[in-house]
Amino acid sequence: MFRNYLKTAWRYLLKSKLHSILNIAGLATGMAVALLAGLWVWDELSYNSNFKHQSHLAQVMLNQTYKGETYTGETIAMPLGDALRTQYSGDFKHVSLGSWNNELIVAAGDVKLPSRGMWVQHEFPEMFTLNMVKGRRDVLKDPSFILLSQSLAKALFGKADPINKVVRIDNRLNLSVGGIYEDLPHNSSFYDVKLLLPWGNNENWLGKQTAWSNHCGVLFVQLNEGADIDKTTAKIKNVPTPHIKDFKEEIMLHPFSKLHLYTEFKNGKAVGGRIQLVHMVGVIGFFVLFLACINFMNLSTAKSGKRAKEVGVRKTVGSLRRQLIGQFLGESIFMATLAFLLSIILVQLSLPFFNDLSDKQMAIPWSWPLFWLLAAGLTLITGIVSGSYPAFYLSAFDPIKVLKGVFKAGPMASLPRKVLVVLQFTVSISLIIGTIIVFRQIQYAKSRPAGFARNGLITVPLTDDLKKHFDAIRNDLLQTGAVENMAGSSQPASHFSNNNSIDWKGKDPGLVVYYRNVNVTHDFGKTIGWQIKEGRDFSKSFPSDSGSVILNETGAKMTGLKNPVGELIKFEGKTYQIIGIVKDMLTQSPYEPMEPSIFICGGWMGIITMRIKPTIPVSDALNRIESVFKKYNQGDPLEFKFVDDEYAKKYSNEVRIGNLAAFFAILAIFISCLGLFGLASFIAEQRTKEIGIRKVLGASVFNLWKMQSKEFVGLVMTACLVAVPLAWYFLNDWLQNYQYRTSISWWIFAVTVSGVLGITLLTVSFQAIKASIANPVNSLKTE
Amino acid sequence: MIKITNLEKIYRTEEVETVALNKLSMQVAEGEFVAVMGPSGCGKSTLLNILGLLDDPDGGSFLFNGIEVSRFNERKRADLRKRNIGFVFQSFNLIDELTVFENVELPLIYLGVSTSERKSRVEAVLDKMQIMHRRNHYPQQLSGGQQQRVAVARAVVNKPKLILADEPTGNLDSSNGNEVMQLLTDLNEQGTTIVMVTHSEHDARYSHRIIRMLDGQTVLENLMV
Repeated sequence: MFRNYLKTAWRYLLKSKLHSILNIAGLATGMAVALLAGLWVWDELSYNSNFKHQSHLAQVMLNQTYKGETYTGETIAMPLGDALRTQYSGDFKHVSLGSWNNELIVAAGDVKLPSRGMWVQHEFPEMFTLNMVKGRRDVLKDPSFILLSQSLAKALFGKADPINKVVRIDNRLNLSVGGIYEDLPHNSSFYDVKLLLPWGNNENWLGKQTAWSNHCGVLFVQLNEGADIDKTTAKIKNVPTPHIKDFKEEIMLHPFSKLHLYTEFKNGKAVGGRIQLVHMVGVIGFFVLFLACINFMNLSTAKSGKRAKEVGVRKTVGSLRRQLIGQFLGESIFMATLAFLLSIILVQLSLPFFNDLSDKQMAIPWSWPLFWLLAAGLTLITGIVSGSYPAFYLSAFDPIKVLKGVFKAGPMASLPRKVLVVLQFTVSISLIIGTIIVFRQIQYAKSRPAGFARNGLITVPLTDDLKKHFDAIRNDLLQTGAVENMAGSSQPASHFSNNNSIDWKGKDPGLVVYYRNVNVTHDFGKTIGWQIKEGRDFSKSFPSDSGSVILNETGAKMTGLKNPVGELIKFEGKTYQIIGIVKDMLTQSPYEPMEPSIFICGGWMGIITMRIKPTIPVSDALNRIESVFKKYNQGDPLEFKFVDDEYAKKYSNEVRIGNLAAFFAILAIFISCLGLFGLASFIAEQRTKEIGIRKVLGASVFNLWKMQSKEFVGLVMTACLVAVPLAWYFLNDWLQNYQYRTSISWWIFAVTVSGVLGITLLTVSFQAIKASIANPVNSLKTE
Repeated sequence: MIKITNLEKIYRTEEVETVALNKLSMQVAEGEFVAVMGPSGCGKSTLLNILGLLDDPDGGSFLFNGIEVSRFNERKRADLRKRNIGFVFQSFNLIDELTVFENVELPLIYLGVSTSERKSRVEAVLDKMQIMHRRNHYPQQLSGGQQQRVAVARAVVNKPKLILADEPTGNLDSSNGNEVMQLLTDLNEQGTTIVMVTHSEHDARYSHRIIRMLDGQTVLENLMV
C-alpha cells in the first residue's frame, strides 16, 4: 500500500511541476531558515558548554545598593578571592581571581605579535579544564611560567617546540612557556584569551591590591559537587558588606551557563540580556517555517479538485478515510523530506554569509547523531503540520459527488486559504516594519551629535618604551605632514571606562556620583576637537595646568556650582582646580544620556591619539606614522585603531539584530510571494473559462487583470490592518529599552504597506496578465 | 441477495426538499442481472449509491445477504464494499496517475492481498479483458472502450458478488458499448450479480429484468425472456 501511495505522490509531483517546485522550494526555504535559526539558537544556548564543569562554575558578581537602586557588575575587589578561598573552602573546589583580558605585545625572538591575555591564579586552567596540547595545567603555580594557546604558540614559534622557551610580554617581562592549550571555541567566554599569565608574578599589580574599595578584577569559582548555587550565594553574599562604608555591597554567584545570555540585572537578579534575542530568533525561525507550511496547505487545498477523483475512486474501492489521511500525510512528509534535503544544501551554501551576518562560526554538525534526530523531527513535524489540513480536507470529499463530476467547492471552501494568506502576510509585514525600525534606531543613535569629530582620529597604545620619547614622537609625527595634532590620554575617545567619585565644596555628603575620569595631555582637547564652553583649554603656557581639570557640561551641572570655573574639586585625595567646561561628548552608550566626565591634565597615560590630515590619503598617512613609531620602538607591531570604527562597535548588537531581522524578513516575504504566485497561477487556471467568456463579451486585459488582482490585494490589505498595530505595539515596547530612541513615524507603515502591495501586484500580475492575454477561443475550447 | 423495503432518501437544501427515493422496495436475487431505468432525476443513481453503500438512506431497510446494512458505520461499510461490491461508472473514473495495472490492482491493495497474488490476479483479469498488452499504459493513452474495460477489470478483480454499473456505455460508441455489455453478461453468466442503471433500452435488453422508476418509486418491472 505504501508503495502505491509513494508512486502516486511521485507522479503527481512530476505532473504538476510548477506546483511541486513552488511547494518544495517554499518548504526548503522555510526549513533552511528554521535550520539556520536553530543552529544560531543552539550556538547561543551551548555557550560555555565546552567547560566540563560548567554546571559548577560561576562568576562572582557584585551588587552595590545605594538609595534603593542596585547596580550589578562583575568587577570585584581583590581581597574577596582570598576570603572565599579561606573562609568557604568547604563550598568551593577552586577559586581564581583574574584580570581583564588585556591587550599585550608578545615577543619570542624576532617575532612580535599583538595578542590578548589574562592574569589568573593557578587553579584557573584546571577549573576551565583547558585541553593541554603540551605541558601541565598547574604550571602557573610558578610565577615565571606562562600558558599559551595553540594558535599563539604556532604564530610565535612555528613548528619548534615552545616548552621552556622564553616569551617577552610588553617588552618588560620575560616568562617561560609552561604549556600549550587548545584554543577555546568561538562560543566560549574566553574565546579570545590567547595567553594566561601567572597571578603570583611581581608584574601583576592586581595581585598586590588589598583594599576592599578598589574594584579592579574578576573572580571565578567552581562549586563542590552537590553544592547548590543559590544556597551558596545566600551563605556568602555578605562577605564584602562590612568592608564598604558609603553603600551596601553584596556578592552573588552568576552561573556560567547564564553568563553569556543573562547580562541584564534588576534588583540584583539576572532578568535578561541576549536570551531575549535568542527567543526572538527562535520565534522568527518558527514563524518563517510556518509560512512555508501555509504555502503547502494553500496550494494543496487549492489544487484539491485535481485529486478529488482519486479520493472518490479510492473510497469506492474500499479505502477508509483514515487511510486517505495517512496517504496525504505520507505525501506531505515525503515532500518535506525532499525539501529538507534541499534545505541542507541551502544552509551549507548560505552559512558563510549567515556566519558573517551574525558574527559566528557555525557549521552543520554532520557527524552529530542528535542533529540528525532533530532534523528528522523537524522534517516530520513540517510534513505533518503542512499536510494535516489538506489531508483532512481532501479525505472528507464525498465520493458520489466527485465521481459524478458534480463536485464543486462551496463558497466557504476558500476561506481557510484566505485566512492563511492573511496570516502569512501579517508575519511578513511585521518583520519588515521591525527591520526598518531597528535600522532607524541605529541611524538615530548614529546621528546623535558627538560633541567632537571622530573622523580621522586614530589611536595606538602608549607603551613604556614610547613614553620615554613622548615629546620627540609628537614632534616627529607633526613633522611628517600627515598628522594635524597628537596627544596622550589614559583612555581612548571611543570609550571612557574609568568611573570614580569626586568631591567639591558644598557637596551633599550623602550624594555618590561617579565621573568618567580621564588623564590627558595638554593637547588632547585640540586633537579630538572638543569645544570649550566656559573657561579655557589646557595649555603649556600655564605650568599650573598639571594640577587642573576640565569638566564636561553634565559634570559641571552635577556639582550644582553656579560658576564652576575656578572652583576646586577633590579626586583620589588630591585637589584640582576647574579651569574649563567642555561641551558634552558622546563617548559612552549612544542610547544613554550623557555621563559626567572629568579630564585631568597629567597622570598615567596608555593611549596616543592622533588626528590625521583629511587632505592626505589614509594609507599614506599611516605609512608615514608607522615610520616614526618604528624609529622609537623597533620591531613592535603597531596596532592602529580608528576611533570612529571603535565607537561603531557600540551599535554592533543592534546592527546584528537588524541584520538578522532583515535576513528573516526578506525570506519571509519571498516565501509568502512564492505561495501567492502558486495560488494566483492556480486561480487563473481555474478561471480560464470565465476569463474567456468575459473576453468574448468585451472585457479588456486591464479589466481582467483588475478582476484577478483585486482579491489578493484585499487579502494583503487585511494583513496590513492586522500587522500595523501589532508591529507598533511590539516595537514601541522594544524601543522603551533605549533612553535615547527614535520615534515610530507613520511613513514607515506607509512605505511598508505600499512596498508589500507593489510586490503582491507584481507577483499576481504575471499570472493574471498571462491568463488575460490568452486567446479566448482556446480557453473556451478546452472546456 | 438484496432486499430493500420502504427505502427513503430526501435531499434538503435551504429552499428545496427533493425526495429522491420514496418508500422504494425491491429485491435482487443472487446471480441476477437487473437493469434500472427511468428519466433523469427519478432516483436511479441514488438507489445505486445506497446499494453500493456510498450513501445512507433516510429511512427503510436494506438487507445485504440477510444483514441489515443501512445503519453501518463508515468502517463497516468500507469493509463490506471492498469485499463484495465492484463499481463500473459512465466516466470510467480511473486514476490518471496510475497505470492500467496499478488501477486494477487498487482494490486488492485495500484488501491486503500479497504482492505476488495481486500480480497474478491482476494479470489474469487483464488477460480476460484483453488489455494485457496495455498494462503499463496510463488511462489517457487508451481509447474510451479500453478505459471502460480497465474499469470493469478493476470492478471484478476482487471477485465481488455484486457489480453496480452506472450507465457503463454512456461515454462509448456502439461497438465499444456492445463489447462492455458482453463483458458484463459474461460475468453474470459466471455467477456475478449485476445491477445496472441505464438510459439505453438496447443495453437493458442484456439484463434479466428491468425495473422502471419514476419519482423515487418503482413503477414497472419487465422480465426479459
